[in-house]
Amino acid sequence: MKFNKQWLLSFDWALLVIALAVCAIGVMNIYSAGLTLTSARLPLYIKQIQWILIGLLFMALIITIDYRLLSQYAYFLHGFAILLLVFVSFYGYATHGSQRWIALGGFTFQPSELIKLTLILSLTRYFSVHGVNGALYGLKDLLTPLAIVLAPFAFIVRQPDLGTALMLLIIFLSMILFVGVRIKDLLISGVTGLLMAPVAWYFLKDYQKDRILTFFDPERDPLGAGYHIIQSMIAVGSGGLLGKGYLKGTQTQLKFLPEQQTDFVFSVFAEEWGFAGGMVLAILFLFLVLWGLKIARNARDLPGTLIAYGITIMLFWGIFINIGMVLGILPVVGIPLPFLSYGGSSVVVLMMSMGLLINISMRRFILLP
Amino acid sequence: MREEKKWLKFRIVTVLAFFLVLFVALVTRAFQLQILSAQALKTMAARQHLKTLEIPPERGIIFDRNGEKLAASVLVDSVCADPSKLRNPREVAEKIGALFGIDQATIDKKLTGAKNFCWLARRVSPEQAKKVEALNLDGIFLIKEPKRFYPNGELAGHLLGFVGLDSSGLEGLELKYNHYLQGAPEKLVLIRDAKGKKLHPQPDRPEGEDKASCHLILTIDSRIQHLVEGQLKAAVRDKGARGGYAIVMDPRTGEILALANQPGFDPNYYNGAAASPGKNSAITDVYDPGSTFKPFLVAAALEEKVVKETDRIFCENGNYSVGGRVIHEAQRKRHGVLTIREIIKYSSNIGSAKIAERMGSERFYNYIAKFGFGSKTGIDLNGESAGLLRPHKSWTRVDLTRIAFGQGISVTPIQLVTALSALANDGVLMKPYVIKGVVDRKGRVVKEFHPTMARKVISPATARRIASIMTDVVGAEDGTGKRARIENVNVAGKTGTSQKFDFARRAYSSERVRTSFMGFFPAEAPQMAILVVLDEPQRDRWGGVASAPVFKNIGEQILNSYKTHIRERQPLEEKDVIPPPKKAVQLVAASPAPNAAPSDAAADEEDESSMPDFRGLTIRDALRKAKGKNIEVKVLGNGWAVDQRPLPGTPLTGVVSCVITFSADQ
Repeated sequence: MKFNKQWLLSFDWALLVIALAVCAIGVMNIYSAGLTLTSARLPLYIKQIQWILIGLLFMALIITIDYRLLSQYAYFLHGFAILLLVFVSFYGYATHGSQRWIALGGFTFQPSELIKLTLILSLTRYFSVHGVNGALYGLKDLLTPLAIVLAPFAFIVRQPDLGTALMLLIIFLSMILFVGVRIKDLLISGVTGLLMAPVAWYFLKDYQKDRILTFFDPERDPLGAGYHIIQSMIAVGSGGLLGKGYLKGTQTQLKFLPEQQTDFVFSVFAEEWGFAGGMVLAILFLFLVLWGLKIARNARDLPGTLIAYGITIMLFWGIFINIGMVLGILPVVGIPLPFLSYGGSSVVVLMMSMGLLINISMRRFILLP
Repeated sequence: MREEKKWLKFRIVTVLAFFLVLFVALVTRAFQLQILSAQALKTMAARQHLKTLEIPPERGIIFDRNGEKLAASVLVDSVCADPSKLRNPREVAEKIGALFGIDQATIDKKLTGAKNFCWLARRVSPEQAKKVEALNLDGIFLIKEPKRFYPNGELAGHLLGFVGLDSSGLEGLELKYNHYLQGAPEKLVLIRDAKGKKLHPQPDRPEGEDKASCHLILTIDSRIQHLVEGQLKAAVRDKGARGGYAIVMDPRTGEILALANQPGFDPNYYNGAAASPGKNSAITDVYDPGSTFKPFLVAAALEEKVVKETDRIFCENGNYSVGGRVIHEAQRKRHGVLTIREIIKYSSNIGSAKIAERMGSERFYNYIAKFGFGSKTGIDLNGESAGLLRPHKSWTRVDLTRIAFGQGISVTPIQLVTALSALANDGVLMKPYVIKGVVDRKGRVVKEFHPTMARKVISPATARRIASIMTDVVGAEDGTGKRARIENVNVAGKTGTSQKFDFARRAYSSERVRTSFMGFFPAEAPQMAILVVLDEPQRDRWGGVASAPVFKNIGEQILNSYKTHIRERQPLEEKDVIPPPKKAVQLVAASPAPNAAPSDAAADEEDESSMPDFRGLTIRDALRKAKGKNIEVKVLGNGWAVDQRPLPGTPLTGVVSCVITFSADQ
């Protein structure tokens, strides 16, 4: 521990503080969303606090391990995470008709969340080892990365967890676009993807089809599939400029809003705090995302850049897709809002991700042997 | 290395730009929803979680002056249907039809005419409601509706009127004061949650309290009303009359204590009533008053000093030809020379005609108008008639002499009792009224009605003389109204029989008559003025015989039951009773003393040791009177004195000042 003092000096306090601030807003918001829910179990905001604390432990752990070391063992980690997924497929704990969780004592854990992180590490590992020296990657070079993403993807689709599966694809696409792919190859794979789409449609469950159709026409079935999005838009819009006041959102407290503590948690916030509150939250999110980009740019090596970029893009898509869905400009896919949606695995993985960013950020100047 | 850095920088900036664009997209969308569409979405939010329930207003209660309920509302069941939920409309129509005796086609029509709601039977009995519940038909349900209930049945039915199916007043006081009684539907804002089941009343919103219904308090005394109706009904039955009216009024204030019509009317069942249900004939019907009009003629003549009480008039032995038409006395009696007093006592038509001739049309007309005939009394009820009084310029000599005994002029019963009250109230005509006040549901007074002086018609002295003369009618052994005599109380009264004008024969009929008796008591300090009219009695057509006993019975029962103090004690001890001037106390004892011509001066002779009566005097006269007794006067208002504190007759020991209220209401 010879670099102790230097570590403290170069520690990315700003990132930690902003991330914790967003976490605090999240806890407060979950409290409001769960106010009228009567359940004998522990209130979710308490559990969220517990998860944040656990997440902070993992964050500390990750900060102490050099990210290059993590990158070196990326395939191993990814493999372990996939094993967990396989385990879930057989012995997992199911709710809402979906088998996603591993029960660990009092807590449940969702390996699909962890996959996002190990995917980023594995892709980083692949692209930093198989460098093309500034040239663009061809289709052949992408076969291994495709295997890296499709292995967990298949299991996650089976759970089924369309949101997370989609997220894996989006991270993958974002990463390969960042490292650079030949346009011709990209077009080929794009066209292939489009051709595959009808086949994919065939495999989609009815409720998933409904969600996509509803996105194009929310009034299609206002009391059924369209109900969620209509109620969400009413909640957000009726918040107005300054909101209805904390704990006073009628859409939330009278339970018109579905999935208040998870997917539609932003509607709760926007209803009670209005456009003004939403802007404050957006600025905090924007800060996190831009800070992540800054870390990616300033990282001392390619693995650092790619990991930081991967995490940032994962964060960004989570925010954009979730809020876009809540505001009715994207279809309803079950993607949680980072830091705000209740979810233990999500919070722990996010805290680990923040730890990785800090890890990269503070090691940018240190010359290691 | 440098190359690589440049590569990286380009990509990072590209991603940065991408992020910013998408963030702006989100913010734009949020702006669109939360700022631009905020109002519309707020309305949508409110619409789905706020529910406004309209609770039908509970109609106000009508109380009598003692707090007795005359009309109240109770909640009863009505049967309605939601045709969209009916499984078997035919079966429903059959069962419901059988239960309520409605024919099939009517129900079918109702069920097919409405989408989601229709009434099948309104305000059914609890037994019927139970049967409907027992049928347990889908789409048929019961709703609670307020139903107007008149606990005393016919009591004051004509006065109260009734309400329609939608609980709004259609007749009588229910109509006239509908705006107070009805109230606005109470709006209750409820919050419902997404499941729509839990309804929490929203605490923030106050209920529209100011629009709640109010209660009405009447001047009617239901006990008096009850006995008046009973007596009237009995008389109508016994005498085979078509109907009748009776009004009891407090002459000092104009308060109507009872107002009854026969045949009776039960507002609980107005549907079954006659063509004009609940018509309040006592204020709408006009008729020729007949002999009951004579006291007003004599009052006017005395006031104008056209005649003196002791003047003797030759009554032509029962045949007096005026303008080619012969006036007879009632029942073809033949009177010789009568004093003015006797003309009233014996009810001489010819004597009255001669007095009228001495007065002349214009002066007589003016007094008739001042007594309130020919114009509405302004009583707070709907549908009052003005009667018929032709302008004096069109009167012939025949008209003048006939109006003198009440033919050729039409009055309403309420006009007659109001004018009578003026005679009883020292010549001051009070506006009659039946509403004492309006109170809200918490008992706070919303509106209060006070006695209103209409005008001063004759002087108190003249009024007392008339009272004295009318006492003879009842008190004297040969008076026409002796059947109205009440033990131990001086009654002033006048009989009357008015022949109905037979339009077919163009002449007054002696078969079809209205026989009436009007009077007040105690004569010295009148507290009750009563008019009883029987319409076309088949027996005892002459007023003294048919109506006077009704008056007597009503008076007797009032005294026995409620106003015993009038008989038992000297009125002086009763605080709000006007003590009689010393002279008047002896009214009955004083049989027509030939030379006891009373004058204004006589009325001034009052007990030196008690507070004089200022009422009816002008400010100037009152001050002069007070000065003579060294009383300090505080003057309120102007015009004629209508009230004074302390009351007249109060011992003057220690009292040196008096507050007198004047009013110029004319």
